Amino acid sequence: MQIARVSPVHREYVPTLGPLTYQESNGFADATADIDVAARALALRDVLAACREAGVGGAGVHTATASAVAVATANGNRRYVRSSEGAFSVTARSTDGTGSGYSAGDHFDVRRVDVAAIGRRAVDKAVRSQAPRPIEPGTYPVVLEAQAVADLMGSLAGAFDARTADEGRSAFSGKDGKTRVGETLFDSRLTLYSDPAHLELPAVPATDEGIPAERITLIREGVLERLPYSRFWAAERTQAPTPGPVNFIMEVAKPTPMGALIAGMTRGLLVTRFWYVRLVDPRTIVLTGLTRDGLWWVEDGQVRHPVRNLRFNQSVLTMLAPWNVEAIGPSERRAPFMVPSLRLAGFTFTSRSDAI
Amino acid sequence: MRGMQPDGVSRRHFLASGGALVAGSTLPDWAEIVQVGPSTDAARTEAAEVALAEASKLGASYADIRVNRYRRESIATREQQVQNVSRSASAGMGLRVLVNGAWGFAASNRVEVATARTLAAEAVTMARAHAALATAKVVLTPTDVVKTSWTSAFRRDPFEVPLDTKLAFLLKLNATAMAVPGVSFVSSQLLFVDEHKYFASSDGSRIAQRLVRTYPQFTTTAADRARGDFQSRPVVDRAQLVGYEYVEDYPWFADAEKAGHEVVEKLKATSVTAGRYDLVVDPSQLFLCIHESVGHSTELDRALGYEANMAGTSFLRPADTGHLRFGASIVNLVADRSQPGGLATTGYDDEGVKADRWHLVRDGVFVDWQTTRELAPLVGQSRSHGCLHADSWASVPFPRMPNVSLQPAATEVTRDDLCSGIARGLLIEGRGVSSIDQQRYNFQFGGAVIREIRNGKVGAMVKDAAYQSRTPDFWASCDGLGGPASYRLWGTSADGKGEPGQINAVSHGCPPARFRNVTVLNTASAS
Repeated sequence: MQIARVSPVHREYVPTLGPLTYQESNGFADATADIDVAARALALRDVLAACREAGVGGAGVHTATASAVAVATANGNRRYVRSSEGAFSVTARSTDGTGSGYSAGDHFDVRRVDVAAIGRRAVDKAVRSQAPRPIEPGTYPVVLEAQAVADLMGSLAGAFDARTADEGRSAFSGKDGKTRVGETLFDSRLTLYSDPAHLELPAVPATDEGIPAERITLIREGVLERLPYSRFWAAERTQAPTPGPVNFIMEVAKPTPMGALIAGMTRGLLVTRFWYVRLVDPRTIVLTGLTRDGLWWVEDGQVRHPVRNLRFNQSVLTMLAPWNVEAIGPSERRAPFMVPSLRLAGFTFTSRSDAI
Repeated sequence: MRGMQPDGVSRRHFLASGGALVAGSTLPDWAEIVQVGPSTDAARTEAAEVALAEASKLGASYADIRVNRYRRESIATREQQVQNVSRSASAGMGLRVLVNGAWGFAASNRVEVATARTLAAEAVTMARAHAALATAKVVLTPTDVVKTSWTSAFRRDPFEVPLDTKLAFLLKLNATAMAVPGVSFVSSQLLFVDEHKYFASSDGSRIAQRLVRTYPQFTTTAADRARGDFQSRPVVDRAQLVGYEYVEDYPWFADAEKAGHEVVEKLKATSVTAGRYDLVVDPSQLFLCIHESVGHSTELDRALGYEANMAGTSFLRPADTGHLRFGASIVNLVADRSQPGGLATTGYDDEGVKADRWHLVRDGVFVDWQTTRELAPLVGQSRSHGCLHADSWASVPFPRMPNVSLQPAATEVTRDDLCSGIARGLLIEGRGVSSIDQQRYNFQFGGAVIREIRNGKVGAMVKDAAYQSRTPDFWASCDGLGGPASYRLWGTSADGKGEPGQINAVSHGCPPARFRNVTVLNTASAS
C-alpha cells in the first residue's frame, strides 16, 4: 500500500491473473528429490578412481535439486508445480597441467545422468589434450560440440523479446522502427521452439508472468517467426501475451552423427566448451569468450592433435546464418537448452590464450 | 528491543502491496526476522553452543557455526515508472564440522536447540562420507580466540529511510538523464543490504558483526530508430560498505547528466581503428581489470585446482611465490579487508580471522596469496589472511576475494599528466564487456566511454573498442600511475564463484594508470 501510494501512476500495471488451466508438468522425479547421499558418494568414488587410473586429477560437482512452487492471486489464479534437476560435470586435468578435459550432463531424473560415462569422457579428453601445439588466431571451420553451442545460447535466447525489438535496442530490431520478424536470418534447417511438455527437457508449464505455456516456435526453418510479448507489451501492441518460452529446443529429425561431422571437415577445429562468454555487441549478438578443456586440430576428417586455447569474437547471427551452417549433429540437453552439435564454415578467433 | 519494521508499515500491508519477495527457504515473518534484541541474541547463542557441543560429542575435531540474518531492499525504476520494489529477509544457521580431516556442513532456517542437534548429526555424517573419499586431511592454522563485536561504518541506516525518499531520488535521477536531448531510456536501481552475523567456533571465538552496504546504479541508453542503432552507458560499479549518506552526499545528478551526454555522443561516435595503442585506464575501468587479472589469479584455492571445474585455475603456481615477475616495478597490489568503504571489508572473516592487509604484488613481483585457515599451511604459512566467506547462512564458506587495490604513485600525478605523454592512445572509462580465460592470462575488456588521445590531448569519443592483453604482459607495460588524489574505490557487487554458485561483493581501489602498446580490437568488425 505504501509503495502504491508514493509511486507515480504505474503505467505498466496489468491486473493479476484469474483462473487458468495449465498442462501437467512432467519434470519431477522422486529419484532426484530423494537421492541417497551414500549412493552419490559411491558414484563419485568411481569417477575419482577413473581419474587416478589415468594419472589425472578431477574436480567436479554432482547436484540434485527438487523444488515446489505455489502461486495464488486475488483474482483466483492457482497453480502448483514441482520440478527436479540432477546434474554432473567434471574437469579432469593432467598432473603437469598440460591437459584438461570437461564433460557434463543433466536430467530431471537423476538416474538418467550417467556419472560414469561423463567421468570417462572428461578423463579421455584430459589425456588426449596434453601438450597442445600453438595455433594462429583467425577464422577457421569448426565443429562445436553441443556443450559449446549451449555455452553461446544465452544471449540469443535473451534477444527473443518483442519490447526491446520494438524499442530499437535488440538484434531483432529492424530499421525505421520495424522488427526483423519474417526475415530469413538463419540456416533453413534450424528451428528453435519452446515446449513445456518436451519429454527430455520438460519445463514449468507457465511463464514467469503466469501465462500457461504452450509449444511455440521462435525460429521456423531459418525464419525469425515470433518475438515473445509480455502481458504489458501485448496489451500495448494489441497482441496476445506469448505462452512462452520456458525452454529453448533446437533439434533436427536426421542429425549427422558426431563422427560424420568431424569426418566432413577438411581443416578446422573441434571445440569442447566455451568459457567466460560475454555479449560484446547486442546489435549483432557478437560474443567474446575462450575455448577450454579440449580443443583439437582436425585435418582430412581426422582429429590430429590438441591445440592451444583461443579467444573468439563472433556474432551468433553470422554463426547461424544460411551460408555458415554446414551440418547439424545430435542435440543434447543442457537445461534450459537442448541444442545440437554443429559444423560451421567459419568461426572467428582473435587471440591466443596460454591457459590450459 | 528495537522494532525494525520497514517504515512503520504493518507486515500484512507490506505483503499485500505485492512488493514482497520472500524466498521459500526463509522464515515467513519479516518482523520476526529483523528483530534485533536480547531474545533473538539469546536464541542464537544457545543454538550455536548446542550445535558446537553436539558436534564435538559426535567426533568433530573442529566446528564452527554462522547464525546470520540478512535483509535486502531492492528498488528498480525506468524513466518515470517504478518497475519493482522488493524486500526480502533471510535468517538461519550453518554448521561446519571437521571429522577425520574432512568437512561436513548442514544448515537450517530454524535457529533453535533441537535443530542444532540435528544439524550436528547431519554434518558429522556428511563429513564421515567425505573422509572415506578424501586422500588428504584438512589441517587448520591457529587463529586468535576472540570474543567481540564489530559494525561497519555508516551514518544513516538505509533501512530507516522512507521508501518515498528513495523513489524520489531515483525518479529525479532518471529525469535528469532523460532531460538530455537524445537520451531514449534510463533505468536505475537502489539496493541495500544489511547483514547481522554471529560466529562461534569450537576454538572459543564468539563474534557478532553488522555490515551495511549501499548500491546505487543506473544505465542510460540512446537509440536511433531510423538507423536501427543503439548504445548504452552503464554506471553500475559504485557500491560501497556505507549507509544512505552515500546516496545523499555523492553528486549523482551531475553524473546522470554526464552519462546522458556521453551516451548521445557515443551513438554518433566513430568506430575505433583496430591496432596498438597506449592506454590511460581510468579507475572506473581499471578496477575491473584488477579484479579479473589480479584478484582471481592470486586465489590460492584456484591455483591448487579446487575450482578447476568452473571458475578455473591460475597461471600462478605456489612455486612462483616471491620471484615471479607480475608487472613493472612501479606496480604494487595490496589485499585489504580493513579498507574503509570496501565491499569486502569486515571485522573478521567467516572463520573468525581478523581483517588483514598484505601485499600480493610488491615492486612488480608476485609475493603472496589469498588464504584461509585451511589454505595457508599448503603454502607453508602459519597464519590465515582471512579470506573465508559464505554468502548466506545456508552456504558452505569458502575462499573469497578481499579488496585488492593498486597503490598510487607517491607524488601527485593527474590523469591529464598521464595522457600528456601519449602520441596516439585511448582513454578508457567505465564498465564494458569483460572476459578472461580460466587461468587469468588472456583478457579482453571494453569500456563505457572511450576517447582518443592525440599528442597528449584527450579528444573525441570512439566506439566498438576493446583492449586485449595477457596479464603479465599488460602489467609489465604499466609505466605511469596517478597520485594519491586520483585514487578511487570502485566495486563489483555480485562476483560469482563456486559450485553451487555463491556471490561476493568486493572493491578495488586504484589511480588511473598508463599502459604502453596494448592491442585494441574493433569489436564490430572482428566477427
